[in-house]
Parts: sequence; C-alpha cells; structure tokens
Amino acid sequence: MALATVAGLSFEYPGEHEALRDVSLELEPGEVVALLGPSGGGKSTLLRALAGLVPHFHGGRFEGSVLVAGVDTRRTRPADLAGTVATLFQDPEDQVVFTRVAAEVAFGLENLGTPPESILPRAAEALAAVGAAHLAQRPVAELSGGELQRVCLASVLALRPQLLLLDEPTSQLDPDGAAAAIELARESGAAVVVSEHRPERVLEACDRVLFVDEGRISEGEPPAAWRPRTAEHPDAEPAGPGVCRVEGVSFGYDAVPVLEGTSLRVGRGEIVALVGPNGSGKTTLAKLAAGLLEPQGGTVEREGRACYLSQDPGRYLVKERADEEVALAVGGDLERARDALATVGLAGFEDRHPRDLSSGERERLALAAVLVAGPDLLVLDEPTRGVDPPRKDELAALLREQAPGRATLVVTNDHVFAGEVADRLVSTVPVLEPALA
Amino acid sequence: MSPAPAALLLAGLAAAALLADRIVSVAAIALVLLLLCLRAPAGRRRLYLFGAIVSGLSVFVLTPFVSNIGFHVIWSGPTVPVLGQLDVTREELRIGLFQGLRLTAVALAFAAYALLLDHDRLVQSARFARRSVLAMALATRLVPTLERDAAGLVEALRGRGVEVTGARGRAQLLSPLLAGSLERALNLAEAMEARGYGRPGGTRTPRPGWSTLDRAALALGALAVAIGALWL
Repeated sequence: MALATVAGLSFEYPGEHEALRDVSLELEPGEVVALLGPSGGGKSTLLRALAGLVPHFHGGRFEGSVLVAGVDTRRTRPADLAGTVATLFQDPEDQVVFTRVAAEVAFGLENLGTPPESILPRAAEALAAVGAAHLAQRPVAELSGGELQRVCLASVLALRPQLLLLDEPTSQLDPDGAAAAIELARESGAAVVVSEHRPERVLEACDRVLFVDEGRISEGEPPAAWRPRTAEHPDAEPAGPGVCRVEGVSFGYDAVPVLEGTSLRVGRGEIVALVGPNGSGKTTLAKLAAGLLEPQGGTVEREGRACYLSQDPGRYLVKERADEEVALAVGGDLERARDALATVGLAGFEDRHPRDLSSGERERLALAAVLVAGPDLLVLDEPTRGVDPPRKDELAALLREQAPGRATLVVTNDHVFAGEVADRLVSTVPVLEPALA
Repeated sequence: MSPAPAALLLAGLAAAALLADRIVSVAAIALVLLLLCLRAPAGRRRLYLFGAIVSGLSVFVLTPFVSNIGFHVIWSGPTVPVLGQLDVTREELRIGLFQGLRLTAVALAFAAYALLLDHDRLVQSARFARRSVLAMALATRLVPTLERDAAGLVEALRGRGVEVTGARGRAQLLSPLLAGSLERALNLAEAMEARGYGRPGGTRTPRPGWSTLDRAALALGALAVAIGALWL
C-alpha cells in the first residue's frame, strides 16, 4: 500500500498563478524519489503539499487530495502530521528556533512527545549521523552554512519520520557532505522525496525521478540539462598580471584560526574556482581577496575595483526598484543599470520591487548589481546555490564571456560548475580538525 | 546558575528599581546591573549598553523641558508655543535623573537577561506558559539577528563599492531590515509548524534540579522586591 497518494492536486497561492496543475503520484514506503525541475516550477509547493503546509499555512485554492499514511492532509494540521512527515526547508538560516545546536535538534522531539529520557540520546545520535556531533554545544549563529545545513538535517532525521521531504538539502554542503547526506536519508528507511539542483548525487541514490515544470509532473528520464555531468578538473597555468595577490595570510574569528599562511593569486582574464570542505575558510579567503576583511597576518594586494557577491545575495537588497538597486554601484546611473539587468535576463523588470521577485530572479538581480560596476576583480560566493542547471549554464557562459576583462574568483561547492566555468581550481583545507574547529 | 532563577533575580532587581523612592538606591541597582552586563563579550554588549544608557539620558535631558515642577529655577529660556516657558528647575532635574536612572536600570536588567542567560535552557525548563517563554526568547533573539542582518546588508553594499555612512545611510537600511525580518518570521513559523510546534502532549528535555545557588537567587530576587517596596 502506498505511503502517500496525491490525486488530481491543483494549487494556487493567494493572488498568484497556478503553482501545481493536476498532479497525481504515489510514494511507496522506503523509496527515494528525486524531484527535479526549474526554479519556480512547483517542486517546493509539492513538498509543502505533502507536509500539509499547503494549504494550511499558505492559504490559496486547493483542489484534489493528498493522503499521507492514510491521513488526509486537508483535514489534519501540519503540526499533527509532524513525525509522520519531516521537512527540511531550503534556507537553513530561516528554520532555526534555538540558539544552541543540541536544543535545536531536541526541539522537534519535544514537540512530538518523545519520552524525556530518549530526547538527548536521539538528538546526539542524529548529530553523530550527519557528522556534527562536535557541534552539539555550539551556538548556531557561529556555524558556517554547511554546518548549519547538517544540523537542520539532523533535526529532521531525529524525528524518524515515515516520509522525509528534503528541499535542496545539499546546496551548501561540500561534495563528500552532500553524498553522505543523501546516503543517510536513504538509510533512514523513510520514503524520501528530495528536490535538488545538483542532480549528480541524487540520481545515483534514487529509485525514480519526477520532473516538475510549470506545475505539471512527469516521470522518467529528465531533460538533458538535468542529467548528471562529469566534473572536470581544470588545471590551466595561472594567467598574466595578478589583479589580486594574497600572500601568506592568516585570519581567525574569536581566536579560532580559519586561515594560516594561505596564498592565492588571481590574474586578469582567468576564472579561479575556490573549493574545499565546509569550514575550511573559503568565504573568509574570498572576503580577504575582495577587501571586505583585513588580514591578521600576511598581505593582500589588489589592482582596480573589486566587487563581492555574498552567499544568498537576494536577502541583501535595499532599494524599492530593481533598476535603482543595480544603479547603487554606479552612482545612480540608471542607463547602465538597465543594460546590466538585460545582461542577466531581467530586461523589463526595471520597476519591479526586488522583494516581489522570485528567489532565482533576486539572485540574478544581485549579480547584475555587481556586474554593473565592471570590476577588475569579481568575487562570487556560492553563486549556484538554489540555481537550476540551465541557469547555471547561462551563468557559466556569462562569466566566461566577461572573463577576459577581469579577474574572477568563484567560491563553490559545486564541482561540476567549477569544472565548467573555471580555468583552474584552488583548494582550501581546514586549519583545525573538525572536532576542534 | 540555572536560567529561570537568574531571570527571576533580574526581574526582582528591575522591580526594585521601579519601586524604590531614592535616587541613590536606584543608582546602586543600576550600577549592579551594569557590572553584570559588563561580563558579556564587548562586541555583543555594546548595542544593549548604548540603548540602555541613551534612553536613560534622553529621559534626564527631556524631562525638565516637558514638565513644570518646582520653584528653584536654574535656567530660564524662551517661551515656546504648546510647551510654554522653557525653564529648568532643580526639582525637574532631580525627577529627570530619578526617572532616567529607573529606565536605565530596567533596560540594563533586560540587557543582562538577553546577554547572559541561556535562553534555550530557559524555554526548556519552563513548566508553564511555554509558548510565552518561547515567544520571549525569539523576541530577545531579534536584536542580535537584526544586528547580523544589518552587518550582512552593509557588507553586501561594501561588496558593490557602496559605503554606508552617516545617519542617513544607516536609516536606508531600516526598511530592508524590517522586510527581511518579516520574511524570516514567516519562514520560521512554517518550519516550527512542520516540526510539530503547538501540538498537544509535548515533553521536555530532562534538566538537573535547582541547586542551592538557584534557590538563593530566587530568594534574593524576592527580597530585592520587598526591600525596594519598603525601604529603598
């Protein structure tokens, strides 16, 4: 008997177009299903429908039915489905309730009425399973994005659900961490539905593939752009004059060293991909290169203007019109701002409020806001987080096209993207063992 | 010390500051709370101390201009429509100082609560009104979260070569900060519901019982209220 049955589901968010159209599917106990499709295609909405959050939390027009473990989600509150269903959301930063890791993992167990004597052992077991046992007493505010994603994964695994819904669970994990996370989900014994923009790992582990586009679902072989690609290892020689030279720098936060004696050189005309495990100081090195941090030891030299695009840049938009947001970096020059918007495929979006845009559109807007300045050094921190494969290809093509005029440093955990866009890879290694970091 | 008796002790000190009648008593309570706050890391305590001291100073400075008390005039100013003659009397200064210190003491008690207490343990140890305690813990986290978001915004703008300077530059960040907070609050509420928050039959992580120190703190909190009401 199927664990979950979706029959003729159509859903429309209040005041928006139809997000799901006549979707039907069955999920068997223990199977792993990959959910692929473009950003905004309806993957997250389908996961929310399976968790009962659609329509209970979001409202909107709902047709059809969703049954999970024999329970009609329209007649049951999402909180009452918790435990049977567990959901890992896209943004780990926005799902943390407590200030310390152990309490965060215990939160769901407490809500489900787990016997008190079992709460801490189950939380510890889940943290150990995701390789985060050493983080148990750390404040969540001090964790890196990848560490936080592991903690959030532990929080849902600790619930031992029958149906595990994972919305881009590996977007901030390094390749080893991503593979381990998918494997863990598989080994949990739950039926797993995992939405991913990096299909390589999930397609290896899944039993079947569903493709969601414009609210419609199809099963079988995904379109070519979503098929796994092999990561290449670019190893070109360092290019000519160095626009950015980082020599033997050291840096730490609150006396915890992150970088020690690290060097990096990025020349004009080349794209360097900065890779390495979570917590190895990639973002710190990128910020030092861009001049956002001052080294505590060693030297950083730059020529010309540097621009830095942070992780999750759609969160950091300040103006009320897209063209004004982009024009900030060029002293309010709206003409250049419109050209930059067109470059990233946002022509016609000039008068839109940045917060009315979809997450993918916001990311492109933020990219336009740094490209418009024509920097000599462009630093992009995880630019493919939450970006679907066709958009990644477009981004890679854009960066390659503009590469000759500047030095480009891309921080990424996406080795396939790194292989496609970069001339060479530079790896960072953790200064401390994970247990000490 | 467990967070619950520590919170009650701080509440007792704040109540004593509100109940006391003498400036020197309120000043002493404020000083004790200030010393407590100084135990927090410098980077974290800065904003709280700034808020507590500036709000107290504002009350001290503004009170003489918006009240009309006393006969010992120290300074006479012009007559302003609505407010009348602006003059400062010794009595107004005294009342301004007293109310300013009271506000500072209460703000410092909140600062100590926000900076020094383990809010996770406080929520987990709540035997009743757990929702209210959790709501308060989340509200307390708003300050450092807003601080982090503001730092992220400033960094994102610096990354584009735009420096945020002056009061006007910082004021531009208020609207995106508020919008970001609302988005975050919605996402958090959804994540909490998905993890079973609000369903009946919840349990709690076991916690060790109160120590002698915890009981002493609780008694001291109650004593502070009584002394504040009767003798200070």
